[in-house]
Amino acid sequence: MLRKKILWLGGICILLTGLSMFGGMSFIAPDAIFKWGSPDAEVFWRARMPRVVAAFLAGAGLSMAGMVFQAMFRNPLASPFTLGASSGASFGAALFFGLGAAGGGGLLASLGGMGAAFAGSLVSMLLVYLITRARGGFSTPVMLLAGVIINFFFSSLVMFIQYLSASYDALRIMHWLMGSLTGLDLLRLPDLCFVVLACALFLRRLASEIDLLLVGEELAASRGVEVKSVKLQLFGVSSLLVAAIVSVAGPIGFVGLMVPHFCRLWLGSAVTHRSLSVAVFLGGGCFLALCDLVARSVLAPAELPIGIVTALIGAPFFLWILFRCNKGGSAF
Amino acid sequence: MNKSVKPILLLNNFGFAFEGEKVLQGLNFSLNKGDFLYVVGPNGAGKSTLLKALLRLHERGEPTGEIVLKGRILAEYSRVELARLLSYVPQAEGWIPPFTVSAFVELSRFSYRKGGNSESSQTSREVVARALRATSMDKLAARPLWALSGGERQRAYVAAALAQEAEIMLLDEPTAFLDPRHAAELNQLLSRLNKTEGLTLICITHELNQAFAAENKILVLGEGSQLYFGETAGLLDGEILNRAFKYEFTIFRHPRHGCPVVLV
Repeated sequence: MLRKKILWLGGICILLTGLSMFGGMSFIAPDAIFKWGSPDAEVFWRARMPRVVAAFLAGAGLSMAGMVFQAMFRNPLASPFTLGASSGASFGAALFFGLGAAGGGGLLASLGGMGAAFAGSLVSMLLVYLITRARGGFSTPVMLLAGVIINFFFSSLVMFIQYLSASYDALRIMHWLMGSLTGLDLLRLPDLCFVVLACALFLRRLASEIDLLLVGEELAASRGVEVKSVKLQLFGVSSLLVAAIVSVAGPIGFVGLMVPHFCRLWLGSAVTHRSLSVAVFLGGGCFLALCDLVARSVLAPAELPIGIVTALIGAPFFLWILFRCNKGGSAF
Repeated sequence: MNKSVKPILLLNNFGFAFEGEKVLQGLNFSLNKGDFLYVVGPNGAGKSTLLKALLRLHERGEPTGEIVLKGRILAEYSRVELARLLSYVPQAEGWIPPFTVSAFVELSRFSYRKGGNSESSQTSREVVARALRATSMDKLAARPLWALSGGERQRAYVAAALAQEAEIMLLDEPTAFLDPRHAAELNQLLSRLNKTEGLTLICITHELNQAFAAENKILVLGEGSQLYFGETAGLLDGEILNRAFKYEFTIFRHPRHGCPVVLV
């Protein structure tokens, strides 16, 4: 029964993702893509497909990270972004666009915008980790609070840089902050592919540990889980995943929050993470690929930043979760 | 007593302190396989601290003395090894995990899949089915935990601990939130597991009369110290209980079993 549902979900997701490659600014007929050398084939293989693959990977990765954070913090509203990852990345990117690129040369310029974002998100998550550890143990509420504080801190820094920078740079920072796959660097695609797949497989291997952590840390420990080390691994790998994605696509919000809940709704909320992780990976990928299709189509020939699309869907969804939580006591 | 029987659990002048403040001290007792120990004492006497120390759940704090489990110092065991010797039934109140009963019980097989061991899913299913039958939860196996009554959920937690196939089961006030009938049923289940499966049980409780049933051993804690350890008959004169709880109980001798009965 469950296996059937996952197969269905997987099939639909892959089909929709594949179909989304044909839509966009202009429709590309399926038979045109094999006419080598034709403009349609060029656009399809060199622009559309890599971009959809990137969107799929980004969505899949962010959703996996969201799933892990929600289980680890036993909080249905936890997501990569409540934990400071995006704000750090934004800070890195803002520094680059606002100061680094303008100044020319130096370490920051050589890192590039993506490198700076990657470094930024790693720094912010490291800070969250260090603050949590300094308070002793590896306690969940402290970590969540630390994430919120780091978020505020870096967001203020980003605003500060924006305030100081020239209007063109400020615009670039703003555009980046919205999250976008427009200027995707094709050379980064293999890296992204490798990081997302490796991290996703690693997280899936820890499915039982995630289940037990969701039950409770004390019970997990009594069942044989090395709680501290597992939490550290989960946090580290998810952070790496988020950092890699954010550095390519910008801080695309709400995906990591929504997709795990969608999948729980589809599979029945009493599902274990062995099955859930597969559904979340495929569902997340498909969801972002479709959001990207919307972003490419609605204002054609202009493009909407994908972050706006996810946020427009995500904010009402966020509220819905909140109300469901209040009524039922738990959204899991 | 047979001298050749090695205790399964031995506490040797065990104590525990948080930031220099002693919450447990001078605990000396041992249990043999198949013993049923009830730990009683007023709130704040250190019962839960003891239980967590036995399960090595304290993230902070300084233990003193030693705990020996099956001839080996407790701290030397890996988590996975420990999980095969000690199972834990927490209070099934508050957060309800989003799993079905069978998936929840299945999670207890964790230690048989990790640490170099890989149990077949066939074996795992069999153990889970047995645990569910033993706790009469087999008919509710497909239900989510949140769709159960408090008594059923507590039984599901016992089933999960049972599926761990550990020799000692530790329970934290398993009947605290149950009505008298469900409490009695759970207690019958525990004593059946104790007698038929030879399971060693350590159970924290505030239900003194339940704890005083004849064949059990009792540990009375008061302000972090061990006030009494032994057969329940030793508590008949009431002096120890009154000292532990700082309260004058009326204590009778049970007409049939000879154990103490407490009137509050």
